[in-house]
Amino acid sequence: MSKKESNGKLRQIFSASRSEFLVRIPLFLCAFLAFFSVLLIFLFILKESIPAISCLGLRNLFFSTTWRPNVSNPRAGSYGMLAFLSGTLMTTFFAMIIGAPLGIGTAIFIDQVAPPKIREITRRGIELLAGIPSVIIGWFGLTLLVPFLAHITGSSGYGIAPASLVLAIMVLPTITTLGTEGLKAVPAELKEASVAMGATRWQTIYKIIIPAAKESLIVSTILGMGRAIGETMAVQMVIGNARQLAFSPLERTSTLTSRIVTDMGEATSVFRSALYAQALALLILAMCLILLVRFVTRSREVTT
Amino acid sequence: MDERKSDRLATLVFWIFGALTILVLGFIVVQILVRGIATAFKPSFFLGKPEAIKAGGGVLPMIISTLYLVALTMVISLPLSVGAAVYLSEFAKDGLIVKFIRFSLDSLATLPSIVFGLFGMTLFCIYLRWGYCLIAGALTLSILNLPVFLRSTEEALKLVPITYREASMSLGASRWTTTRKVVIPSAMPGIITATILPIGRIMGESAAIIYTTGLFIRNIPLSPVDTAAPLAGYIWYAQSEAMVPDYKSVVDGGAALLLVMVLVVFLLARYLGKRFQNKSHAGK
Repeated sequence: MSKKESNGKLRQIFSASRSEFLVRIPLFLCAFLAFFSVLLIFLFILKESIPAISCLGLRNLFFSTTWRPNVSNPRAGSYGMLAFLSGTLMTTFFAMIIGAPLGIGTAIFIDQVAPPKIREITRRGIELLAGIPSVIIGWFGLTLLVPFLAHITGSSGYGIAPASLVLAIMVLPTITTLGTEGLKAVPAELKEASVAMGATRWQTIYKIIIPAAKESLIVSTILGMGRAIGETMAVQMVIGNARQLAFSPLERTSTLTSRIVTDMGEATSVFRSALYAQALALLILAMCLILLVRFVTRSREVTT
Repeated sequence: MDERKSDRLATLVFWIFGALTILVLGFIVVQILVRGIATAFKPSFFLGKPEAIKAGGGVLPMIISTLYLVALTMVISLPLSVGAAVYLSEFAKDGLIVKFIRFSLDSLATLPSIVFGLFGMTLFCIYLRWGYCLIAGALTLSILNLPVFLRSTEEALKLVPITYREASMSLGASRWTTTRKVVIPSAMPGIITATILPIGRIMGESAAIIYTTGLFIRNIPLSPVDTAAPLAGYIWYAQSEAMVPDYKSVVDGGAALLLVMVLVVFLLARYLGKRFQNKSHAGK
């Protein structure tokens, strides 16, 4: 393109829609804020966790289970987060074992089985469940699940088990909502063809509908995991907040999130920085999940 | 015959799944309301000031904090998310930048809220030296809820028929004029309806605000730079760290009150959503 031509084009853009050009910039900045925020969050969390990383080393920080903070002399403490990372992974794992089948089952119930009225009620119920504050679910867990578990097992009742139950309730709406959307996207012709061939509803569901919606069911489960990993207050209220590695579901322990909340108030210097390093670990876990979602849906064009 | 049986069994199992979900929800709602509703609507509780060590404190400053925080967050979030949604759905061409923005939105939607809390505390309360205050909490929540608001707004914009845009542009209006005078006004009911539901989330959010907005106050916060203590955070504080002897009834009452607030928002969103739906059907 010659210079003259490009000048002409520029002039055209400016004269025809100068206001549009001017308005594009603030609109673009609004959208760009998303990218900018992620960048800032990452940089701030990284910057604040650098003292811990450089003072303790990656091995003592990420791969040690000894968490013995020293409030009066922070540098003398040990700050290994492995026990809490294990707490996060264990609670998430157990929560998914309960929550994923229940969530996907409810999604199939809503999409395929329920009559219209019941479907509407169930869907609204799920929407409401998603909106119930985590402190309320935590308080429910603390006053009902913990005493109940203590009663039937004879332990304190705190630990991985009540945390997983509470998390299972909280991942349910995420999995069901996204799962229902995925099931809805399965073309009706597929189902009709299967039923026309004489297949029962159950055969249609597990041979046609679930395979066709497999991808979005997996994505809904992954995003449910994200919810479980990040949940803080409800877990903090029932997990017992011990600084130890748990080997059984009924031992008190902590997750990354609950440890941050429990200790942030009194932490200074390296202790504080070690808590930011835990946030960094959470951030990396979340990023892994997003990449996993991208990987699962790589054949599709858009995700959310 | 065998297939019939397994079909019946499967149907039964799916009904159990659905029923279980609703039962869990119902059980939680009823439990929280039954235990706390009497305390929640005692005037000395919802109109009273909280106590630090004595029994008998109320939660009025916390209710005001929650409402204030919701209002501030909406004032910040709405223009930002409408702007971003308009850019993404009306102006942007698919390209690398849009991909980056979409990826960032996915990341924001997946990051744990405690990470937002730490970030907000570090940036607003410490680096900018604002201390614990409402505006720091509102900014943190605006970033946290950006993907939710943006998605609802985008969906509302998508519902505006393409023919509206074509008609406006064929009359010689520029894209911006079309967006401002045609698209946004006709999407507005949808935008408002869709942004009410997230208000419940803002009310219930605790991990992102306890270290940005504050945990305990005795006086009603007046300006956006005042320290505040939204109800959700205070409930957590009262059960874990407070020294009042009657913390159980404070938490029961607070939880019931918060649940009622969330329920009101939920029903309002449903009501507006239905009205809007009926209207848009009538228009077609």
